[in-house]
Amino acid sequence: MVNSTSNALGVILPNAGDNLVPELVEKRTMASIPFASRYRMIDFVLSSMVNGGITNVTVIVKKNYHSLMDHLGNGREWDLTRKLGGLNIVPPYAQSTVKMYNGRVEALASILEFLKNQKEKYVVLSEASTAFNYNFKELIAAHVASGADVTMLYERREIPEGCKNDNHTIKLQDGRVVELLTNDYRPGVQNLSMDVYIVERETLITMVQDATSRGLVYFERDILSRNLQLLNVQGLEYKGYTAHITSMKSYFDENMRLLDEANLDQLFPVGKPIYTKVRDDAPTRYAMDAKVKNCMVADGCVIEGEIENCVLFRGVRIRKGAKVKNCVLMQDTVVEPGATLEYVVTDKRVKVTADKNLCGTDTFPVYVAKGQTV
Amino acid sequence: MAKEIVAMILAGGRGSRLYALTQKTAKPAVSFGGKYRIVDFPLSNCVNSGIDTVGIATQYQPQKLNEYIGNGQPWDLDRLYGGVHVLPPYQKATGSDWYKGTANAIYQNINFIDRYEPNYVVILSGDHIYKMDYGKMLDFHKEKGADCTIAVMEVPWEEASRFGIMTADENGTITKFEEKPKEPKSNLASMGIYIFTWEKLRKFLTEDEADPNSENDFGKNIIPNMLNAGEKMVAYAFEGYWKDVGTIDSLWDANMDLLNPNVALDVWDDSWKIYSRTSGLPGHKIGSKAVIDNSMITEGCRVDGTVIQSVLFDNTRVAEGATVEASILMPGSVVEPGACVRYSIIAENVVVKRGAMVGVRPEDMDDITKWGVAVVGEGITVGAGAKIGPKAMVVKDVKEGEEQW
Repeated sequence: MVNSTSNALGVILPNAGDNLVPELVEKRTMASIPFASRYRMIDFVLSSMVNGGITNVTVIVKKNYHSLMDHLGNGREWDLTRKLGGLNIVPPYAQSTVKMYNGRVEALASILEFLKNQKEKYVVLSEASTAFNYNFKELIAAHVASGADVTMLYERREIPEGCKNDNHTIKLQDGRVVELLTNDYRPGVQNLSMDVYIVERETLITMVQDATSRGLVYFERDILSRNLQLLNVQGLEYKGYTAHITSMKSYFDENMRLLDEANLDQLFPVGKPIYTKVRDDAPTRYAMDAKVKNCMVADGCVIEGEIENCVLFRGVRIRKGAKVKNCVLMQDTVVEPGATLEYVVTDKRVKVTADKNLCGTDTFPVYVAKGQTV
Repeated sequence: MAKEIVAMILAGGRGSRLYALTQKTAKPAVSFGGKYRIVDFPLSNCVNSGIDTVGIATQYQPQKLNEYIGNGQPWDLDRLYGGVHVLPPYQKATGSDWYKGTANAIYQNINFIDRYEPNYVVILSGDHIYKMDYGKMLDFHKEKGADCTIAVMEVPWEEASRFGIMTADENGTITKFEEKPKEPKSNLASMGIYIFTWEKLRKFLTEDEADPNSENDFGKNIIPNMLNAGEKMVAYAFEGYWKDVGTIDSLWDANMDLLNPNVALDVWDDSWKIYSRTSGLPGHKIGSKAVIDNSMITEGCRVDGTVIQSVLFDNTRVAEGATVEASILMPGSVVEPGACVRYSIIAENVVVKRGAMVGVRPEDMDDITKWGVAVVGEGITVGAGAKIGPKAMVVKDVKEGEEQW
């Protein structure tokens, strides 16, 4: 077979990080949080996998996954409607004898039979709480070259405020991980794990079987950190652009950060498209007298009022005389005439009625939940 | 399993009146309205009307159209049985021939239509912009017990001589049909949308093919022949927006109509969506110094300059200090700093270099009769400081500082 596909399959855990943004995941998963004007968080890792030749991807969902199922459908938009491989969504069994998984090991245990039947040599594991545009072929190549048991991606950065209680950092010696800390709280730049791993499929199966028989749950804490002498775990530094969603504040900030075109170009470089569900909206229409400054706007919007420093998702309506500044407005938000919004995050289908005034601050944006009318 | 109705889109014309825009592209694949191509309108109308079997008869520069249509998935026309098919002329045991006329294009595809054993066939044109429920027209056709139903609309009397003009009695039965009459007796113009009872059309197509003097054209041959033979032909009155975009001026007008709130063409209406194959780019970015007024902008655009009453397609760039006014920028085109584009159609991947001027406002003309929309063809580079006059058709790169009128 020609070498257009990678010899790896993907596994994505879409609920990982749900606890960090309880407001946003009330009716969805971390992976289905809308981001960057027209995407959902999972689009980034999923498109990166597809662009890197990984065309057999399993998404192990846990709860609140209707929005994710609706978004992914049969995977066609990511070119994952395949006879061989393709997109495979695994919901938990609704059986009293099967308990809901907690750690990554339990999640993997639930697809053990599936993993055994696959043909790919490697498994790439990822979450969906980070938006990044990565060529996974680099990870696979580095892993194969080093002959490691496990290779993990990490970034050199400070630990985000939101995930002080949910992170892994590593210490490296000549590329090999010699220490893996859970819930590190040290200040300053650390080697922060991106929770992206590559393991040989057979090795992973053995690891999961062993851990399961001993009642172990967590991949990092229970398997990796305890066996760093035994296992050759390599760290691979990721130097590209990342957007971590670790809190409501960071959600707001990471959207805003894309208003800088240098950042936008890094997350969306030419030739590495991020795919998403198509909505067939018309182009955005700017009416006469509309005022717009420094904004990212998706299709299907109608702008009659004023917008400044905003990220607008698909189908947003800004009526005449409305003023919206420093806001993130998700799909189909309507801001009626004369309303004023500043530092506000609205979820899908929010309606702000005429002449209302909503105002948060840069450190504490106001959030309006899905479908609410103000 | 038979289909009740099959749609056939006539897309074989060269579109020579769109010259610079159809050098490498069939007319139905010409970009329209920010993210569409012309053929999206009849295709979306079909799907929204419940028609799931569509043939597109094509013979001029078909590659782009082929690639664009693909398996028909963006229009929900990837079907197990039916779906959309691009139909170029092909070699048969009896010989091979290009499509000689609109009727011949259907005649050569009789086998395609027969496969679905339809009761009716709707014939559509690949160069019209409108939203229409063909299902309602079919109901009308059945109700009247017609052999042929022709969609008509009232046009201004002074324009009537440009169209096929019908005269109909109070029941809508067509009594007279004249193709582009010098002295029109009616202002009911044919919109080039026909529903035929297939059995009847099949018979007339076969007879027409046997006539060596025929031009094999619906308007010139099939319709008059059916009328002369006493077949029941009725006019179906359509109200709403409809425009033939076969010329530069009408294509420009139709794009501008999207920006006019008083015109009945509404692509934002979710109840009758127009589908298209999308670019998949992130939302567009408007810079801090940009000025936007009455315009349409879509995914992947970057605007830092001034955009007034214009339609920007995906992935276009308007740099700081550049002005785009009353113009259409097709996908991937770039307007560099200080350049001005006015009353123009800029095709795919054109680069308008620094300080270049393309097109002129009508009010800035000494002689208004010489004014017209300027067109820059696909992939052209307009050099720095170059000047392109009104009504220009640019098909070759323009050197720095050069003037072209």
